[in-house]
Amino acid sequence: MTTITLQDNILSKDEIRKKTAKPLLWIGIVSIVMFFGGWTSAVIVSKGASSNWLNINLPISFTISTIIIILSSLSFHYGLIAIKNNKTSQLKWSVIITLLLGLGFVLSQYLGWKELYQNGVFATGSKSTSASSFIYLITVFHVLHLLAGIISLIIVGSKSFLEKYSSQNTLGVELSVIYWHFLGGLWIYLFLFLKYIA
Amino acid sequence: MSTHHHHDQDFLFKYVFSTDHKMISKQFLITGFIMGFIGMIMSTLFRLQLGWPGESFWIIDKLLGSWAENGVMAPDKYLALVTMHGTIMVFFLLTAGLSGTFSNLLIPLQIGARDMASGFLNMLSYWFFFLSSVIMLISLGVEGGAASAGWTIYPPLSALPQAIPGSGLGMTLWLISMAIFIVSSLLGSLNYIVTILNLRTKGMSMTRMPLTIWAFFLTAIIGVVSFPVLLSAALLLIFDRSFGTSFYLSDIYIGGQVLEHTGGSPILFEHLFWFLGHPEVYIVLLPALGITSEIISTMSRKPIFGYRAMIGSMLAIAFLSTIVWGHHMFVTGMNPFLGAVFTFTTLLIAIPSAVKVFNYLTTLWKGNIKFSPATLFSIGLVSTFISGGLTGLILGDSALDINVHDTYFVVGHFHIVMGLSAIFGMFAGVYHWFPKLFGRMMNNRLGSIHFWVTIVCAYGVFFPMHFLGLAGVPRRYYTNSEFPLFDNLMDINVLISMFAIAIAFGQLLFLYNFVYSALRGPKAPQNPWESNSLEWTTPVEHIHGNWYGDIPEVHRWPYDYSKVDKNGEYIGGKDFIPQTTPLFENETEEAH
Repeated sequence: MTTITLQDNILSKDEIRKKTAKPLLWIGIVSIVMFFGGWTSAVIVSKGASSNWLNINLPISFTISTIIIILSSLSFHYGLIAIKNNKTSQLKWSVIITLLLGLGFVLSQYLGWKELYQNGVFATGSKSTSASSFIYLITVFHVLHLLAGIISLIIVGSKSFLEKYSSQNTLGVELSVIYWHFLGGLWIYLFLFLKYIA
Repeated sequence: MSTHHHHDQDFLFKYVFSTDHKMISKQFLITGFIMGFIGMIMSTLFRLQLGWPGESFWIIDKLLGSWAENGVMAPDKYLALVTMHGTIMVFFLLTAGLSGTFSNLLIPLQIGARDMASGFLNMLSYWFFFLSSVIMLISLGVEGGAASAGWTIYPPLSALPQAIPGSGLGMTLWLISMAIFIVSSLLGSLNYIVTILNLRTKGMSMTRMPLTIWAFFLTAIIGVVSFPVLLSAALLLIFDRSFGTSFYLSDIYIGGQVLEHTGGSPILFEHLFWFLGHPEVYIVLLPALGITSEIISTMSRKPIFGYRAMIGSMLAIAFLSTIVWGHHMFVTGMNPFLGAVFTFTTLLIAIPSAVKVFNYLTTLWKGNIKFSPATLFSIGLVSTFISGGLTGLILGDSALDINVHDTYFVVGHFHIVMGLSAIFGMFAGVYHWFPKLFGRMMNNRLGSIHFWVTIVCAYGVFFPMHFLGLAGVPRRYYTNSEFPLFDNLMDINVLISMFAIAIAFGQLLFLYNFVYSALRGPKAPQNPWESNSLEWTTPVEHIHGNWYGDIPEVHRWPYDYSKVDKNGEYIGGKDFIPQTTPLFENETEEAH
């Protein structure tokens, strides 16, 4: 196969990435929104069709999780502003704190599932209902998506310790921040939905 | 072509794990066609059973073996074949095969890009598709047979592994295959949308894009919005089947045993499924409509009539497709008021559809039409889009639908409006862009014979089905010979089956033409159809990056055919002006 020389007016691979990475992420986010939208609509349909829908009190841990994830979004955003001003050490701290808060969120969710289980709310089996299964399913799949965010945090963290970012090169941080904010927003929606509508 | 080879890619990366959109396009095409041929053979086999129920056939004996004792298809295997035929045709041929082939081939070439936004994601998209195809085919061979609940896999049949033989491992593999398929489709759609939005060449504004690109763009958007919902539905089904949840199940007895499922609703699945399922119709149809728009304009040597109306109607169809899913569920005990709402939104689709048909006909009107096989299939699409669309008005009306629901009327309707239209669009696309795909020309005469055999036999198969449906013959039944009231309709089934056999043989013409031309066909000239769009400015043989040197700049829309000046002379001296030609003196850009 013949290769060709790229002319000046043609985008290089790096430029194509700069131009397309964010739109790719945003459209990916749309598909995740539709995925959870499918399930939350399913809850509404199931609730409407059921004569004995179980109203479940959410554990207090889920409220704590909400506070944690809001804080993590703030700390990560602080890091983005820092790197845009070329303050690399502040980015490192921001990523570490965000990572710890992210792991704290996962732990808090786990405590929430434990509490639900102890209160006799089961995900599967003969004692479960679709109301109880939905709570586990939706929260667990949110955490699965969050794990992707944690992986991206680890990547951004390692790269920031290797001094790969500067005020001229923030794309990786921006992508990770967008996804992380999205996970926070998604959780707030899911939390309010489960608390007031389900 | 330069003989200087910089770095020869080895075979593996050139032909197998290629990130080049043109190679990925061919991979989608060939995989899609293989799946399509398998799906077609399945339909021919079960048409033998429907036309001559209970008779022994040598071919069924040879092909199905233990699925057909003494050459008579077993009833549960009939259900498996119907299910797999539907799944393969809708998803593997007409979604991945059609959209995957032409979006990949044409998006970078027609908008002037070196490749897709992410070649790597594009490669992954193909290989996920390949993997899901393999799993779907493997499911045919498992104990108990392939999934048998119909391509719509309604619970509880699909949710209880012990329900029927096909609800077991076959159903599990179906779900796994489809989950992988959805990932493939999403990766592809992401790429298509971002490439179109961000990598257009200079001068290629959104309203200078060929209508093919608009169609692929909107198809990808519908895919991104609706496929995730099918994934969420499939996951709930997997949990119900394997992990003891009750999302779709409640108060079920099976074999005298009470099952411990409470609180779920099988209707929930229908809502989620059809939220994808209806937009899926347009995921299948829009690329075909886009391809047709391009071909009809090029081959009738006239600008497309109502370019903006075409875009507007596609936007309207894309939007409406997401709010009509309830028309598949009129008989689920839906509130009649809600039924009326869905009837209203459904019938609204008739308006943009009629706009498109009108524009196709007015583009053809008084055109200097060149009847290539691509033109014929495009006009065939307009025909099936009308005749299949008209019965949609009956099925979209909640009061009328109840009479023909789940009968052959529905089968006739969707095969014509969705199946035939989409496959005609796909054939048209293959005949038209074959020179771009393989650098060689297909045989026109064989192509024309292929068209006439196909359209006559296709109407022969699906048109009589409407009469069966109006007489009340239910779809998906293994045989209707137990019902005396249908006895006098049996001859219609024989006729349909004969046409089905004929159409299957007709496709061998295409297969031969395709394979022979790809290997031995005459070399393609630079611009065989004298078309305006950018893909014909690339070298005939495929190169990495699509253009030597700079990407061409675009100065006009792609439909400047037979443009004349005040004296009635062709501007530029020919009946076409490529998009790369700057405006001539005293020429104004078409106010399209």
